[in-house]
Amino acid sequence: MKDNKKSVIASKSRRKFLKNAGAAVAAASFGAVPMRGWAADPVNIGALYPTTGSMAQIGVGCVAAAKMAVEMINEAGGIKSLGGAKLNLVISDVQSDTTVTRTETDRLITSNKLSAIHGCFASALTLIASEVCERAKVPIITGSSSDQLNKGRTYTFTPFARASQFAKAQLQMSKLVSDQPKVAVIFENTAFGTSTSNGLKELAPGEGVEIVMFEPYSAGFTDASPLINKVKASGANALFSVSYLNDLILIVRTVKQVGLNIAINGGSGGFVIPDFYKNVGKLAEGLQGVAHWNHDMDDNAQKVNVEYKKRTGDFLFEYAGGLVAQTYMIADALERAGSADPQKVRDALSALDVSSGFAAMAPGGKVKFGPDGKNVYGRPVGVQWQNADLASIFPKEDARAPMLKT
Amino acid sequence: MLETVAQAVINGLLIGGIYALVSIGVTLIFGVVKIVNFAQGEFVMIGMYITFFLFSTFGIDPLLALFVSMPVLFVLGALIQHFLIRRVLGPNDMPQIFLTFALSLLLLNLSLLLFSANYRTVHTSYSDEAFHFGGLYVPEAKLIAFVVAMALSAALWVFLHATDLGKAMRAASQKPDVAILMGINPNRVFAVAFGAALALAGAAGSLLMPFYSAYPFVGQVFVLMAFVAVVLGTLGNVIGALVASLMMGVAESLGIQFVGADSGLIVVFAMLLLTLAFKPNGLGGGRVR
Repeated sequence: MKDNKKSVIASKSRRKFLKNAGAAVAAASFGAVPMRGWAADPVNIGALYPTTGSMAQIGVGCVAAAKMAVEMINEAGGIKSLGGAKLNLVISDVQSDTTVTRTETDRLITSNKLSAIHGCFASALTLIASEVCERAKVPIITGSSSDQLNKGRTYTFTPFARASQFAKAQLQMSKLVSDQPKVAVIFENTAFGTSTSNGLKELAPGEGVEIVMFEPYSAGFTDASPLINKVKASGANALFSVSYLNDLILIVRTVKQVGLNIAINGGSGGFVIPDFYKNVGKLAEGLQGVAHWNHDMDDNAQKVNVEYKKRTGDFLFEYAGGLVAQTYMIADALERAGSADPQKVRDALSALDVSSGFAAMAPGGKVKFGPDGKNVYGRPVGVQWQNADLASIFPKEDARAPMLKT
Repeated sequence: MLETVAQAVINGLLIGGIYALVSIGVTLIFGVVKIVNFAQGEFVMIGMYITFFLFSTFGIDPLLALFVSMPVLFVLGALIQHFLIRRVLGPNDMPQIFLTFALSLLLLNLSLLLFSANYRTVHTSYSDEAFHFGGLYVPEAKLIAFVVAMALSAALWVFLHATDLGKAMRAASQKPDVAILMGINPNRVFAVAFGAALALAGAAGSLLMPFYSAYPFVGQVFVLMAFVAVVLGTLGNVIGALVASLMMGVAESLGIQFVGADSGLIVVFAMLLLTLAFKPNGLGGGRVR
């Protein structure tokens, strides 16, 4: 028994030796980095995502995209001003939980020398991570949309559209469907549902959109029929549903069963991920939503989409796509800072001004941060499910496909 | 207006049929074995996952999956009764409550581990279709679920009243001591009752799958309604649970229609409170059948 154990250890270390030797040989023969005495130290980038728990599905996709982006940058020669330093992704699972997010962000910062962090997909988690980063003076860049992230923060950067802009875009999109949009807003009676729908209600008069029904429902219902019955009676010609995946699936199916001819806008989040189509199937065709990123925006976005598809089998969804751009923004800042020091990276990020390349992959194609960390050019893009894929249809300058009439 | 009310009643009856399958299971276990099964919802969840995997792996229609989910859950139920419940039966209720509650937590977390929190949906040719009559509509998948649920309830009633085993079950529930003297083996009867109750939960799972998503917490949604129906229809009363479930479905639907979409449950609970105030033993009038 003892001998057995010994031999396992021996063979393991032999394997390790071979692996190391192989790597050394490979490095020597290809030698992408010019050897100047010592190879440059890698630059650590923290990645905070929920890869377990209720948000795991999206979190796992984010991690795949983050890894892909880092590989792309490293293969292209790393950070040149740092002697070709490679990016090293330090991934941490925040478990879809606010308490865990706080401790994990703390742990990540104290146990690694980080130059920057990106995360966490869900606004509720990002708000916490951002607080920790502000205190530790490490810059964090995020695709989360909460407007709260731009208040009283100096190390937090949000390159994409804000929640308030999403609501506005959604209202404007209802005019694509009808000259006199009559909108029914149904929302789950949670913090997320209430705040999002109130945003819609406040902005509607200014956009000339009439809201004919404004109704909270109990999240996780067993049957959407009574609710849709009510929508039908309201005479609405457009339906905004502020819901998580399961309720939305029931709503979409019930609208079909009722035979109700109404344009559905499902907003963002769970609505613009490949899984939505997998669950709803053909019924998703023609449904509209809003996103802060879409893979058909420009050539670069399409390029990373192809690569991501090759790796995961799914198209590159909103949040993960934006994450690739964010990684390039960090790389751009590192390049200009010429230092891995988080304070210098923060200063370089705040001076970021790009309009080409992977870092500029955003609706509008330009990124420049204002004093509140908001991208001054940031805007959302209206999308529509077409042939099992998401096509950009709004606004006109961002449209990449004609709107499908439903 | 009339059309809106009629549609609300149809919607309520259809979902009430599903509530009935879950609540009849709870009430059967309570009536015969005299315990409250807090894990009943989790067995609906297991029935849904069985149906989902049969569909996604072998392409078996959810309605045919009924013939797998029901026997599997029947055997599971008999085993649980024999190896777990039997040991805690006695004058003290607490161990039974803890046991079924622990079972619920165990199954919940086990399914989270095995299946993850993702939603799983099944698409059949009848999933999104509906029959239309004038301005009214009846979704096909729900109509099928309702008809099968009613047929299974009727079959259970016939079993309890027309077969020796069914009669033995009722006897063991009414007077266990006398039943033993008459040569009835209560353990065997209890195992069959527990198995039958879980088979109904499995049936509910299979019937739900064409129009509802499976996820680890799905049972909790239905078990709450089931408990209300069981109390409303008198504990242990199968017909009472059936009628109460249908009433609750309709009350919920009318509540959403005319009070507010987040008030469906308020109407249901108001109905429960009023009933208990005037008929403390529930609508069954205290007669346990």
